[in-house]
Amino acid sequence: MLTTSHILSCSPPHLVCALAEQVLARYDRDAVTFISGPRCVLVQLRMIEGVAETVFNAGEILVTETRLELAGQFGFGMVIGRDPDHATALAVLDAALRMPGDPHADLRPRIAELGQALSAAYERRFAAAAATRVEFETF
Amino acid sequence: MGYVAVRGGSEAVARAEELVECLRLLGGSTPLQLPQIRDQLRHAVSRAMHEGALYAPLLAALAVKQAEGDSIEAAFLLRAYRTTLPRVMASLPVSGREMFCLRRISASFKDIPGGQMLGPATDYLIRLLQPALAHEDVRAVIAAAERYAALVEAGKPQPGAWGRFPKVTEYMRQEQMIVDVPAEPAREEPFDITREPLTFPCPRSARLQAMAQADTGSLMSLAYSSTRGYGDAHPTLVELRYGYLPVHVAHPLTGEPVTIGEIEATEAEIASKAHSVTNHAEPPRFNVGYGFAFGQSELKVMSMAILDSVLTQARIGSLAGESGPAANEEFVLLHTDGIEASGFVAHYKLPHYVTFAADLSVLDRARDHHAQRQSRLGQLVDQALTSDSR
Repeated sequence: MLTTSHILSCSPPHLVCALAEQVLARYDRDAVTFISGPRCVLVQLRMIEGVAETVFNAGEILVTETRLELAGQFGFGMVIGRDPDHATALAVLDAALRMPGDPHADLRPRIAELGQALSAAYERRFAAAAATRVEFETF
Repeated sequence: MGYVAVRGGSEAVARAEELVECLRLLGGSTPLQLPQIRDQLRHAVSRAMHEGALYAPLLAALAVKQAEGDSIEAAFLLRAYRTTLPRVMASLPVSGREMFCLRRISASFKDIPGGQMLGPATDYLIRLLQPALAHEDVRAVIAAAERYAALVEAGKPQPGAWGRFPKVTEYMRQEQMIVDVPAEPAREEPFDITREPLTFPCPRSARLQAMAQADTGSLMSLAYSSTRGYGDAHPTLVELRYGYLPVHVAHPLTGEPVTIGEIEATEAEIASKAHSVTNHAEPPRFNVGYGFAFGQSELKVMSMAILDSVLTQARIGSLAGESGPAANEEFVLLHTDGIEASGFVAHYKLPHYVTFAADLSVLDRARDHHAQRQSRLGQLVDQALTSDSR
């Protein structure tokens, strides 16, 4: 089961931006206040190594981050790579989905559709690898 | 020739850079586009990223282009770029078991849960040049899409089958086959070599971070030395996996996990021979080492895992026979960073006129001394001093 943030960060950015546009269409232009970003920053990757399951710093990841308020609701968007539109769309959607009373509940079926498409893409991606599965013969 | 301190040369430096740019394009070939490098020179991009310690495929492609394919220079460019950006947070710790695997093999166990998949690999091919690649055009792209569709069909996509598998080391731990890594003083955060200077002996988290950004060739050379006889490594690949790893951070308001995307990564665990550790009351176990790198970088992670295992064995005192330089943590970690090593070696190209002038004056004095010792009187005195010292 993919989480909402997984679906929105890994789906095609233009589809995620289209969802954010739908949200923004319901508000005045001044309903959005940028707190920081969109800006390129680094996130240190913390890995759990496979021997003793301890944590170490494996290197940094370039991400784009946006923090904003949509009609007073805090929204956070972060995505791997340089993509200010995608990061801002994620922040808008984060704020919209956290609003009291769930006024943007209509987003959820759309996100579920994106989730189904992403699942199918993952299944195809893995199937190509699964075609290389080794069948050993035992002597 | 005079040996003097100098300044200047700015114009020559600028023109030298200009000449590099000209020579890159004067051949008349079409300039490389970054997506071409990212997609078609995957391993060069991976290497720039893990040695530059920055996951950013398109920027790594730019670095490879700017460095004209020089992997150490490309990593240097990325690492320098990294210093211009603020780090806002660390990710939530992620395990390789979350990886969506495209490749997963084990040389230790034939039957691993989920099976073995060769994935994208050229290990099993005969190393013959493929002349057809020299004449590729857009038809090759179409053909690749068709072949990929056929592979997907052959692999039979199934709902929820995304390539997540348990780690082989989980089974080995359950069966108590793995030596415990030496206990270390508890730290709130793993060691960060970009924030704290390395001192020895260092925490294992520092060792793993340093090797994750080390030069592939340097790690490979030391790992090879330990397996060939200048050490005590007897490695067997427990598991190697390559694929897509989702990354999560904590939401700044609620603290709940937020996925921010996937990275390509490779990791490996390698077992060394069984031994009884220092506590002979305990049953013998395997020593296992760990390796990780951005992108698809198999030699790097295997070399890292071998060295991690050797260094752990050295720490717990269970090495047998000659230990070799690969068992010396300080030697390994201070000499495998490609950027530091290349920077130090390359700096000898810069003017050292004053240093060399001092060397020349020492040489002149040494020559005078030598000439003096060659005289009849000098030889007599040397002879007398030698017999006196007896």
